[in-house]
Amino acid sequence: MQSDPAKQLERNARLMELLARTALADQQAFAELYRLTSPHLYAVALRILREAAPAEEVLQESFVNIWHHAGSYVAAKSQPLTWLTSIVRNRCLDQLRRRELETVTMDDEEEGVAIAAEDPTPLDMLLSGADTRAVRGCVEALEPTQKQAIALAFFQGLSHSELAAHLRQPLGTVKSWVRRGLERLRDCLDRAGVTR
Amino acid sequence: MNLHDPERADALAGEYVLGTLRGRARQRLERLARTDRIVADAVRGWEERLLPLAEALPPIAPPSRVWAAILARIRSAATTPRARSLLWAPAGWWRGLALVGLATSLALAIALLKPAPEAPEGTLVVVLAGGDAKPVLVATAARASRYLVVKAIAPVAVAPDRSLQLWMLPETGNPRSLGLVSTIAPSGVARIELPVAADRALQNIPALAISLEPAGGSPTGLPTGPVLYTGPVQRLY
Repeated sequence: MQSDPAKQLERNARLMELLARTALADQQAFAELYRLTSPHLYAVALRILREAAPAEEVLQESFVNIWHHAGSYVAAKSQPLTWLTSIVRNRCLDQLRRRELETVTMDDEEEGVAIAAEDPTPLDMLLSGADTRAVRGCVEALEPTQKQAIALAFFQGLSHSELAAHLRQPLGTVKSWVRRGLERLRDCLDRAGVTR
Repeated sequence: MNLHDPERADALAGEYVLGTLRGRARQRLERLARTDRIVADAVRGWEERLLPLAEALPPIAPPSRVWAAILARIRSAATTPRARSLLWAPAGWWRGLALVGLATSLALAIALLKPAPEAPEGTLVVVLAGGDAKPVLVATAARASRYLVVKAIAPVAVAPDRSLQLWMLPETGNPRSLGLVSTIAPSGVARIELPVAADRALQNIPALAISLEPAGGSPTGLPTGPVLYTGPVQRLY
């Protein structure tokens, strides 16, 4: 959303307040929470699920869940938007798992939901997302292959075998790109004091 | 999957948050994260590292039907009776409250009213109690009266920037405000004017409740703060 740290703090404080009031069954606060966060969360779901109908369903399920469980949000443990994003992403990944069980063939990235051509690629987003947290250096320090595998898995919800098919590489190779990429990212972020 | 090795647990948590951990391995890690603190912390660490990257996505406004469906679902959930604790009060906390402390308050109401034979035409009584079932306020009105008298029977402390607001909890639909009872503090008694006679004003109202609101009352027209006291409406006629 915003990269300005002061604005980010202000936004987080606002979202925390809205979550607290939602826990008290305040529908107006809940409506405001939805207004402020749903465009971001819908974009997350749409990227992973690639079709509007399941993304809308996930968004709906997630917010009904948030209404009932806003009280379980613990401010000390995570940022409000991180908490909300994890709810939506986990539901998306559950959906994908159910689809896998039904052995659906992989669509090409271009098929499915209409993502405008001028939309940034997963790789662009990985870099600009990093920019919002001043950890661009850590993402840039990844090998290009690691960077691409992580970006596709994170933003598009690709599994190891889908990554292998998409990148035309053996499964073992993409698995190690992902694993090493994550290790490197963690070590760099933790060193930079961004997390932990 | 050996999750006793913290490094392995951390690596799996990373793949879980990234999304590449699938199938049963994913479900297993999810289950473990609920009970094992090391796994839960590892997942949280990765959420903190990776999820803010999602903020780079250009936002897309969802169609308005999504919000309409959410509203319909939380409202229908609110009509399902469900007893909950008063301070943790999500959707539709006002349902099912009418029965809370019924026995206590009924006994008290009868005890209070017994030496009052001067109310031959009938009286409505509401004993409002907190989560510990200890009665704190009593609201009474003669059935033909246009006033509800709310009396504190235990000390009630309210911060100067807060108000106590009295609500009717109808059988269906949202709570409706009867007004503020903050004026109770100095005299111990508040008189609330009703739009019609008490027996009609409280018709189909099984219970009343008092919530803590910002000074001047709820800005939304619905309770926004914690519900401090509730009690069933007793019709002694």
